[in-house]
Amino acid sequence: MAEDARAGNRGHSASEEQMGFFYISEEAAVEGVKCGEDAVLLVAGGEIDYAASPQLEERIAEHVDAGRRRLVLDLSTVTFIDSTAIGVLMGVVLLLRELGEGSLALVCADENRRVLRIFEIAGIDSLIDVYGSREEALSALSTAG
Amino acid sequence: MSIERSVTSRETSELCLPAQPSKLGVAREYAQRAAAAFGLDADRCYEFVFAVNEAVTNAIRHGRPDEHGQIHLSVLVDGDRLTFAVRDYGTFAASTFDRMTSSERGRGFALMTRLMDAVQLCAAPGSTTVRLSTLACERAPGEGAR
Repeated sequence: MAEDARAGNRGHSASEEQMGFFYISEEAAVEGVKCGEDAVLLVAGGEIDYAASPQLEERIAEHVDAGRRRLVLDLSTVTFIDSTAIGVLMGVVLLLRELGEGSLALVCADENRRVLRIFEIAGIDSLIDVYGSREEALSALSTAG
Repeated sequence: MSIERSVTSRETSELCLPAQPSKLGVAREYAQRAAAAFGLDADRCYEFVFAVNEAVTNAIRHGRPDEHGQIHLSVLVDGDRLTFAVRDYGTFAASTFDRMTSSERGRGFALMTRLMDAVQLCAAPGSTTVRLSTLACERAPGEGAR
């Protein structure tokens, strides 16, 4: 199970979150918000460092390759994020722009102020919209789409 | 991995870490313990750990380990200053630095310097050391070191 979580497969347990293992999974759409088939909601958690960043990049790339162009990534349960992960996110934004009409929105709950502070210092908010909830991010996608 | 600890007027400890991405968590735990023992509050511990993680990541990505495949981490507490040193055994090459994209290069170092009171790069033939220092004095919440 732990290996599955680290490999980025769907499903994870609370104990793994506590231990800081990185995970990323696709979530069902939020009820009442319609975003279209090219949208996807991903949830990542744990520690995203240089060891985990390739998995983050691969999982996002799978969805882009599958035709998803509007991505929402919820990082509310991320306990640590480093500059390589931020580089991955910025790379995804640039890729989606190249592909045209694509976008990446991040979700990070206000309670996760340490990750938000890293975003602020890294200047990520100048390139990527960061929302406080999935509903806000998906609604923005829905409006834009 | 081995830990040596000695206490003099200046308190030091050292950790030899395999230069592997999977060991970054060990480096973060080591930095967290040092920062907490030094008395930094939780937010500043997090910032210290973040900066250390950046320096160790750089050493693993761009540096060279010793003959045992390790890089060397050390902590020095000198009065009100906590210093974390990350040493690898590559010769720092400006060309390597230049090959990194400007955003990548800028991001890692900018984050370190923003969060620490001092960041020092010591380059010698066969040895590159980055020293991150923070002071015990309190800052206002959200206020950067610089």
